Amino acid sequence: MDPLVNLPDWAGMAPMLAFAVTALVLFLLDSIEPESDSLSLTVLTGVGLIGSLAAVVLSGWFLLEAGPVELFAGAYVVDEMSLFFTALIGSVTALVVLGSHDYIAETDYRAEYYSLVFLAATGMAMVASANSLAAAFVAVELVSLPSYALVAYLKHNRGSVEAGLKYFLVGALSSAIFVYGISLVYGATGALQFDMIATAIDGDALTGGPGILGLGILMVIGGVAFKTAAVPFHFWAPEAYEGAPAPISGFLSSASKAAGFVLAFRVFTVAFPLDAVSGTFDWTLAFLILSIVTMTLGNFAAATQEKVKRMLAYSSIGHAGYVLMALAAFSGTGAESLLADVSNDSLLLGAGMMHLLVYGFMNTGAFLFVALAEYWGVGRRFEDYNGLWREAPIASAAMTVFLFSLAGLPVGAGFLSKYVLFMGVIGAGLWWLVVIALVNSALSLYYYSRLVKALWIETPETPHEIDSYPAGIYAAVVAAAVVTVLLLPGFGVVAEEAIAAAGALL
Amino acid sequence: MSNPWIAIGALAAVAILIPVAMIVVSALLRPRVPELSKRATYESGEIPTGGTRIRFNIQYYMVALLFVVFDIETVLIFPWTVIYNDAVQAVGMTRALVPMLVFIGILVVGLGWAWRNGAVRWVRSPRAQRQKVER
Repeated sequence: MDPLVNLPDWAGMAPMLAFAVTALVLFLLDSIEPESDSLSLTVLTGVGLIGSLAAVVLSGWFLLEAGPVELFAGAYVVDEMSLFFTALIGSVTALVVLGSHDYIAETDYRAEYYSLVFLAATGMAMVASANSLAAAFVAVELVSLPSYALVAYLKHNRGSVEAGLKYFLVGALSSAIFVYGISLVYGATGALQFDMIATAIDGDALTGGPGILGLGILMVIGGVAFKTAAVPFHFWAPEAYEGAPAPISGFLSSASKAAGFVLAFRVFTVAFPLDAVSGTFDWTLAFLILSIVTMTLGNFAAATQEKVKRMLAYSSIGHAGYVLMALAAFSGTGAESLLADVSNDSLLLGAGMMHLLVYGFMNTGAFLFVALAEYWGVGRRFEDYNGLWREAPIASAAMTVFLFSLAGLPVGAGFLSKYVLFMGVIGAGLWWLVVIALVNSALSLYYYSRLVKALWIETPETPHEIDSYPAGIYAAVVAAAVVTVLLLPGFGVVAEEAIAAAGALL
Repeated sequence: MSNPWIAIGALAAVAILIPVAMIVVSALLRPRVPELSKRATYESGEIPTGGTRIRFNIQYYMVALLFVVFDIETVLIFPWTVIYNDAVQAVGMTRALVPMLVFIGILVVGLGWAWRNGAVRWVRSPRAQRQKVER
């Protein structure tokens, strides 16, 4: 650790350990009082909030004060990028915990629900720090296994159980592909740690020729595509997000996606540097194709949906496509960007990180609004949301901010993160990719506006019967909206941090 | 000429040929005596009862999962005990002992949770009880 923070090296794991300890504390609390009703839900939510906010504070503190640390012989690194993503995951977890408070009030196994959320968050923080393919695989599994259970949490609801099964089957398939890819990369290079893989590729010390390595890289892309819900492993996303409890949909579509992307950023920039592998397997081309297909498919499918949650699920696929542009336009050369003093690659990765951060707030917020609607039993289709502003003006205003920010209008920070991302892609000379992304954004504005129109303009066929206003979900929705808006003026500060983190990785 | 794959291909051909040949020859030679008891699921004289779609008690899986907890624990603790003395001399007591205690502690939390939530309480199946009474 840096002398500024006078702690031993292993303290670098503290943000991740905060999640892990919270999960264990929740299990202990549940062991003391296993009967569902006797243990107060407020205690569980409180413990969860403390744990997730502790992770945010710790990672923010290390981000500002401490230098990078390598642990476990370099298999686990705590650097600026991992801390940035841990803070993101912690914030999303806090929102999800707060939003779940009322949502799961009537169900059994509430302590287990929170523990599983925290075990998944532990895995995500580990993914952000993993610096070896073996550590990355274990961490990805630690994210996936609790997620399967969480998606199927409403176990008397057929949709939820079906979604859990589909998620599990696609997840098992892509895990198998991912681990097979890892074995091929290991077979070709003889190394699992990212920097050692790069050294082996650079030194031309490949066993079995470049073909095995290329196939391995392709399969690793498959594993990443599953976690980020990108084509061709996106099939699980609409089903899982629609069937899962709405706060879990928000958790999976923002935090889990961010974890997938940080893995992609680290693996492809550190382990498979472009100048070394371009002769074997040019992964920017693969990401270029995936990015175009993912964003187009996501947005066009979202435009045809009748159900709000499904629309958000497809829009989440579309956003994965936008962030994939950061890897598609990657050059590995350190060429100057349109901004002064910043290389275009670090601008691209920084913009991708910023988009994921902003997305973490606006998308979780949007899913929490759906959670609110589900709590009231409003219904799933667009028409069911008609005229909801009469009953819930504050939440509707927040939802409008989320939706327009998702579309990229300058009411929230979604505008700026998209703007910087497009700037980086243009800086790499791929202006036609930006044109495709702009067409997609314009289309996304159409289907987001449909929901805004339903909320504010349409009149409901039957008046909504709303008798209680859940404080937890409201607080989470409003907090997410406030951060989404505040990131608009505060974008520069955070973006500098993100671009510096990306620069440190390169 | 001396391609090792030729030998493997020949082996594969033989491996397919022998069972196919045995099936064909026995089909040609054997007498055919169709009778009802030969078509039964079990030719051992056991009469099958009921359908195949029975629900197994979930607790078999609970016990299996708890077994996995102990299994993994054992697999890690055995090599650890073997090198423990050398490890203490090499890196000191703290670094040799504490990680294992943390590991066992996490497993104990999980086991305690499962115990308190009734995973090891063998609940009687009401359906099985009923069937016993009917008999």
